[in-house]
Amino acid sequence: MEIVVCVKPVPDAETKLRPAPDGRTLDLEGAKFVLAGYDESAVEQALLLKDAVPGSTVRVVSFGPPGRTEEVLRAALALGCDTATLVESPPLAHSADVRSVARALAAAVKKLPHDLVLVGKQSGDSEAGMLPTALAQALGHPGFNGAVELKFDPTQKLFTFGRASEAGLERWECPGPVVLGLQQAGNDPRTAKLQNILKSRRATLDKVSLAELPTLDVAGATAEAFQLPPPRTGAKWIEYKTPEEAATKLVRLLKEEAKVFP
Amino acid sequence: MSRSVLVVGEPRPTGLVPASREAVAAARLAAEGGAVAGVLLGGSPEAVTEFSRGGVTGLWVGSDASYAERRIDRWVPAILAAAKSTESEVIVLASTGFGRELAGALAVAWDAAAATSVTELTPTDEGLFVAMPVLGGRATSKLRLAGPRAVVAIRPNAFGAPAMSGEAAPVESLSAAPPTPTLAGRRVGFEANAASQGPDLSSASIVVAGGRGLRAPENFHLVEELAEALGAAVGASRAVTDAGWKPGTYQVGQTGRSVSPQLYIAVGISGAIQHLVGMMSSRVIVAINSDPGAPIFKIADYGVVGDLFLLLPALTAEVRKARASG
Repeated sequence: MEIVVCVKPVPDAETKLRPAPDGRTLDLEGAKFVLAGYDESAVEQALLLKDAVPGSTVRVVSFGPPGRTEEVLRAALALGCDTATLVESPPLAHSADVRSVARALAAAVKKLPHDLVLVGKQSGDSEAGMLPTALAQALGHPGFNGAVELKFDPTQKLFTFGRASEAGLERWECPGPVVLGLQQAGNDPRTAKLQNILKSRRATLDKVSLAELPTLDVAGATAEAFQLPPPRTGAKWIEYKTPEEAATKLVRLLKEEAKVFP
Repeated sequence: MSRSVLVVGEPRPTGLVPASREAVAAARLAAEGGAVAGVLLGGSPEAVTEFSRGGVTGLWVGSDASYAERRIDRWVPAILAAAKSTESEVIVLASTGFGRELAGALAVAWDAAAATSVTELTPTDEGLFVAMPVLGGRATSKLRLAGPRAVVAIRPNAFGAPAMSGEAAPVESLSAAPPTPTLAGRRVGFEANAASQGPDLSSASIVVAGGRGLRAPENFHLVEELAEALGAAVGASRAVTDAGWKPGTYQVGQTGRSVSPQLYIAVGISGAIQHLVGMMSSRVIVAINSDPGAPIFKIADYGVVGDLFLLLPALTAEVRKARASG
């Protein structure tokens, strides 16, 4: 089975939350970029399928500025992905345009054999949740987001997965090629062995240059402001002598001050 | 400058998902006096009635049975046909799971700028400005969606629904979408969630959530009774779902559902960051906990320290009394 996983470099959890000097995005000065969250799950899921279906290949693809994008690609190689492709991005400073990302990734994925394209359900920073189906649309494949319990049936050559709706869990089956946004991979993701980390540092990354990409409208959606909520001052304490007094006071505040009582 | 806007309604068995009604309000803002048409694919007669009276100027209805599978390759061609008929420049959806799937596919298929989880929307001559929570609700990002086309999925409870109108907007049937080849993949089964009373957790305007402070599963009814009195959805912390007191669908937090109701009442929840990122964009937060040092109080608007086994019954009784007296 040929699997492609698309990942996005995101600032790690230690990154200090503050606006960049221009006030338009998170300040990424000095931030460490990592493979995290649903993307990490997507890589884990790809590797689980590879373990289950001998002869499978997992290729990881990422679109973005070279430095940080290389970092996450090497992290995925260290975990066991077979090849890595860096899709060079035009200057992206304030771009938040999902169609550009989908089209750039699609151009790279088209060059790779693929039965399954896996993506995290949403990125760890912008959390928009649009990329899986945008990529499916750009590739002309069926696409679903929020897949769980993904398995491959080798005799029928079918992927089976669950898809959550408000009312319950739908069971789906689909032959490849298909694009799936992954909700979770089940178990804790594996960690890389030191020798594989060292090996991944020396690995050669495949590159797709800007010249090979379609024209991208990166300015179609741009970040204009990044704002932190006003610091919460802490709770207003309800003082009371009896539980009934606490209840009366709280209901009155919800009604008259907060105005959220139904 | 006014513009035509199309609202994609998301049906549910009993009508429309509530955020679809709110999407009409957001669409009216975007339209600046222009037409606001709706498109409904595979909805019940109740959904048609609700949508056509919900503030749209016209409604396009597609009734092909295949829409029930909720797949982008069935819906996108039909939505594009409706957008073309109505000469729309903006498409507004509810930012549900399926709404976000559609938004991504429409961004590419319609060649549009797109945003999800939108909580504010301002039309300008330079495009639509939208705001949404990012980084687990710890920050807000404002984007400019440049023209000529934009897709906006709005977060539940961010825009109030317009009042229902006595008169229904004209309903037209959407001629069958361009024939799609037989699509790969099919739905082969469905496991319904355990029948939960009350509103859906993701879109409810009030949520009451319980945590480990309830001590045992047989005490969880205290949370459910308060929720029922408030007409609220019931949520739980990860400790509760991990322990099996409640199914995983109740979990609020990073690995569960993200909610942003008008009112969130956290009962016996200490406030691990895992939980906070799933609920801290709620408008008003009430915390009830025995430990005054619990982190939940740092982000709460109102705090009650004490024995929740005494406080909850008193609060439920007071809520019932207050609601009965209007």
